[in-house]
Amino acid sequence: MRDPRREAIASFVPAAASSLLTVALSVSVLLSASAFRLSSPMIEGMPSISLSFYVDGTAAFFMLIIGLVSASVSIYSLGYAGSYSGKHSIKVLGSMLNLFVLSMVLVTATNNAFSFLLFWELMSLVSFILVVYEHEKEANLRSGITYLIMTHIGTALITAAFLVLYFQTGSLSFDSFRSAAGHLAPFTKDLVFVLALVGFGTKAGLVPMHIWLPRAHPSAPSNVSALMSGVMLKVGIYGLVRVTLDFVAPSTPADAWLGLLMVVAGSSSALVGVLYASVEHDIKRALAYHSVENIGIIVLGLGLSVVFMSFGLESLAALALLASMYHSLNHAVFKGLLFMGAGSVLMRTGTADMNQMGGLVKKMPWTSLFFLIGSIAIAGLPPLNGFISEWLTMQALLSSSQVPNVVLQLSIGFASIAFALTLGLASATFVKLFGISFLSRPRSKAAEDATEAPRSMLAGMTIAGSLCVVLGALPFVATSTIASAFGFDMGLVSTYAPFGPLTVGYAAGGLKSASSLSMPTVVLLVGSVGAALLGFVAVAGFGRKTTTRRYTTWEGGFGALDERTEYTATSLSQPIRTVFKSFFRPRTEVDRKYHSDSNKLTKRSVTVTTETREIFEDQLYSPATRAVVAVLDRVRRIQTGKINSYLLYVMIATILLLALVVFQP
Amino acid sequence: MTAQALEVVAIGALQLVAVFALAPLLTGIMRKVKARTQKRIGASVFQPYYDLSKLWRKDEVVSDYSSWIFRSTPWIVAVATITAALFIPVFVPLSPFSAAGDVLLVLGLLALARFFTMLAGIDAASAFGGIGTSREMMMSSLIEPGLFLTIFVVSLTFGGTNLTSLVSAAARTGIVIAPTMLFGLISFLIIIFAETGRLPFDNPATHLELTMVHEAMLLEYSGRSLALIEWSQSTKQLALLALLANLFLPLGMPASIDAGLLPLGVGALMTLAKVALLAMAVAYVETRVAKWRLFRVADLLTAAIASAMVGMIFFYL
Amino acid sequence: MGEMRTQVPLSDLLTLSAVGLLVSTFGVVVRRSFAGWLSAYRYQSIILAGSTAVIAYETGVWEIYAAAALTLAVKAVVIPRLLVRVTGSVRDEFKIEANPFVSVRLSLLISTLLVALSYGLVRQTLASANLDVFAVTYLPVSVSLFFIGLFVMVSRRMALNQVVGLLIIENGLFLFTTALTQGVSLIIEVGILADILVGVMISALLLLRMSQTFDSFDIASLEKLKDD
Repeated sequence: MRDPRREAIASFVPAAASSLLTVALSVSVLLSASAFRLSSPMIEGMPSISLSFYVDGTAAFFMLIIGLVSASVSIYSLGYAGSYSGKHSIKVLGSMLNLFVLSMVLVTATNNAFSFLLFWELMSLVSFILVVYEHEKEANLRSGITYLIMTHIGTALITAAFLVLYFQTGSLSFDSFRSAAGHLAPFTKDLVFVLALVGFGTKAGLVPMHIWLPRAHPSAPSNVSALMSGVMLKVGIYGLVRVTLDFVAPSTPADAWLGLLMVVAGSSSALVGVLYASVEHDIKRALAYHSVENIGIIVLGLGLSVVFMSFGLESLAALALLASMYHSLNHAVFKGLLFMGAGSVLMRTGTADMNQMGGLVKKMPWTSLFFLIGSIAIAGLPPLNGFISEWLTMQALLSSSQVPNVVLQLSIGFASIAFALTLGLASATFVKLFGISFLSRPRSKAAEDATEAPRSMLAGMTIAGSLCVVLGALPFVATSTIASAFGFDMGLVSTYAPFGPLTVGYAAGGLKSASSLSMPTVVLLVGSVGAALLGFVAVAGFGRKTTTRRYTTWEGGFGALDERTEYTATSLSQPIRTVFKSFFRPRTEVDRKYHSDSNKLTKRSVTVTTETREIFEDQLYSPATRAVVAVLDRVRRIQTGKINSYLLYVMIATILLLALVVFQP
Repeated sequence: MTAQALEVVAIGALQLVAVFALAPLLTGIMRKVKARTQKRIGASVFQPYYDLSKLWRKDEVVSDYSSWIFRSTPWIVAVATITAALFIPVFVPLSPFSAAGDVLLVLGLLALARFFTMLAGIDAASAFGGIGTSREMMMSSLIEPGLFLTIFVVSLTFGGTNLTSLVSAAARTGIVIAPTMLFGLISFLIIIFAETGRLPFDNPATHLELTMVHEAMLLEYSGRSLALIEWSQSTKQLALLALLANLFLPLGMPASIDAGLLPLGVGALMTLAKVALLAMAVAYVETRVAKWRLFRVADLLTAAIASAMVGMIFFYL
Repeated sequence: MGEMRTQVPLSDLLTLSAVGLLVSTFGVVVRRSFAGWLSAYRYQSIILAGSTAVIAYETGVWEIYAAAALTLAVKAVVIPRLLVRVTGSVRDEFKIEANPFVSVRLSLLISTLLVALSYGLVRQTLASANLDVFAVTYLPVSVSLFFIGLFVMVSRRMALNQVVGLLIIENGLFLFTTALTQGVSLIIEVGILADILVGVMISALLLLRMSQTFDSFDIASLEKLKDD
């Protein structure tokens, strides 16, 4: 099988089929509302280390996310793999991609801490291999190493969390963790929670553990980025949900600070992510930063849910959890779509730098349409799916007035400022992402010669794109799924009536009121307003038929303007860079070259270099790395290279061990 | 469909038509007031109608470089703005579709219109459009949070985000003199100046590249497309001013649609008068201030955000 | 504080004046020019005089009327005029805060935090004390004024801005004493006012000297005076 096309079919068609089977499994679990259980003792005499699977609603919901996105990405990969034919092994890409999807499904399905960690590590390693798939580029290797280090720090913390639970329960089974949930000492509970938050937060990309995201996503092949950003981050969220809701199970007001911690982490991730995205001109890096933002919104919702749960506000907790999970689903769909769109552009133009793109809306009409759908969805604009989950999140934030604690109320109030700023900046950023990449005129030869992506890639994007539309126009599809997955008694949030409105009722300021949103009606109204407007225009022509003339853009009388006079991604975001300068600390250098030194009026060239700083890398990671390297340099001295000294170490170790045995207390 | 539901839909349609028809008049009044305070006579208050009908009959020029985004933006903007206006209770304390969409949907629809306007600014490959979009990106990224937080404050005070219940709660309570609402009002006032492109944020009457923001994005539009966008802009202005009047100064507005024909009529007239007065005040302020430097505009918008935040603090404390 | 309005016009008046005081303080934070600060300060002083008059009307103590009138005369008229006159010869670039240590936008957000902090502090410490309506309304405001004035002094570069910050702090202290004690004896009021007047005059003169010596109002240039 040397034919790359057949290799691709052999790898990705089974991947798509098995993804659909995953969807089928999760849908059957969700519809029957009964968990699916499968277990076999693996090692005789060690029952705690066994291979057991338990797909409850939570796991099924995340499997649904994995299946949906993997299916569309697999179909997309059929065409995308073509861009590697002759350069890289498609067999490796295909098998690793299959293994990657499998490992994520297994992580969600497993019911045992040991096998969870096993599959988790498998997922991390396979995704590392995929990140460094284009291994001939040194930058990719470097970002792969960053990813590997960060993900293992995360794994270490998760392991620690599970070990703490193991010492409490004496078992590695999730069932025993679950049954111990109510009896954990407060300190243990907090410890497990914080370890899990940092550990899973590293995988999900919470600030300040996010630094691997903007490096790994651009390095990986685009179909892998779509999977990593769309799905793997959600597996991190899955872990967080599992530990928070099942093992920690906040129930007393003393647990509220755990929720507050998540609210703070989530809202600051959202703001930091979107701020970096707004000044980025590499399309895949910008999308990676947006993942940080959206994960922030998801964790914000989850944190609100924990806060409400701690005070026994069940229906509000359900509302916030619904918002958070809805956003997880949405983010998987639209971020998958956007990375696939970016991949198509990358494949056809050979660059991820937006300043080299432009005019693609004419060359790649379908890709640009899908990218536009993804952009509107992620910017949280009606009528697509992003709006629904952000609407729910806003309702959850508004309900914070019912939390009986002023400090919490005020903190959530400040979190809503961050959330509001995030929304505003996100739509501005997607104007830049879509506008600079796809609109106006081509800025490079490659963009001018671009052609539409192959059909299979368009088919993959069609699935994700139509999901964006369906989840936006018919929210009850998702809300009833989530409600049955998490077994809400929805209470104030009614979701079951198909085509009925989402209704959130709450009391505030002494007045009882309900807010509701019915997207089918809204879509209908928009349609009828559009039809009425068309009719009005047709009737109110005032007796004159107008014509449309095509001409070049008005150039101010200077003659034909070339593409260098267009705005670029960098210039477009300059005001934002200036307004938030205390965050970005932009440095601008202007280098003027003159024809002669005596005459400063005729310049030969003016070069302006602008760069923004990554404060987390500068202030947190670089000093930490330097310190570690310094320590390790010391440690390295014991590696002398002489066989005698190694034997000496063996001798010392033996003596120490013997001493330990002899003087054992 | 029951008779009552039909009645509600009829009220909604009537309200929408009234808003759409009166919006240019409001723009005319503002221009007239501005002219008079500058010691000019100024054009008739009906001039915007003449302008629109003239634009309506003009041929269009569309740039070769632009795409379907540019062509469809006026329609998207118009549909989004009109649909948003449909949800706002302007003359009667009833938003007929308030079960289908709330104030957050209104904000979302307005943001959608702005999103496409910004894209259209880039689409024609002109540096002017780029200037406009670039500045609008910065401003909108502060206007949207400001508007959202203002609404947040109002929702906290009156409960919920349903527009009918918000407006009737405001009408029942009368003018609320509480720090929460006062700071919300300040924030909303600043945001309205910014959102409708008024001085000191943006000068609606200039085409000078140093100062224009909104106009720069629309520079390539002509004929019917331009008419649609301008009309939508006036509609948005009227709808937002009416929202301000109904939420913060609910004098004369009956608390419910069942109040009877006379109170409803009085309420509608009062709203008209209040909106006209507010528009005059806006126009008067415009003649008193100069255009602010772009980056100081960000200061003012942050002040709106801070003010809404102080309102929220007062609510909680 | 989320309750609906009460039907007492007095409390409406108090609320309005409290909000006015806070807004004028935010005005000082958001404006960048000396004229802007001065007009915000003037508005603040007028509102302050009004609040004092309201307290006087409710308590019926004639000394407070006098204090209100004095406040109006000195703070809303004399001090602004004095400052304008003294700084008349100063170049315009020294009257503009172009590059503060903390950006204006960040200062605004920090100021909201300070408001929250002072309200929280006052509520916490005086929760048990049996206070009248004036103290309840004005004490947190006065603490906010104090904090924000201090923050303005800390975060700004231009010496004139520091003077305005000082004046705001003084307004906060005045409000504090008036609201809490309902009128210290008039002699003390007059003394304080005279003190402020002298203080402003001296600082204005010093500023003038400073601009002549360093050709700058940037307080960073004061570092040159340090003994190395």
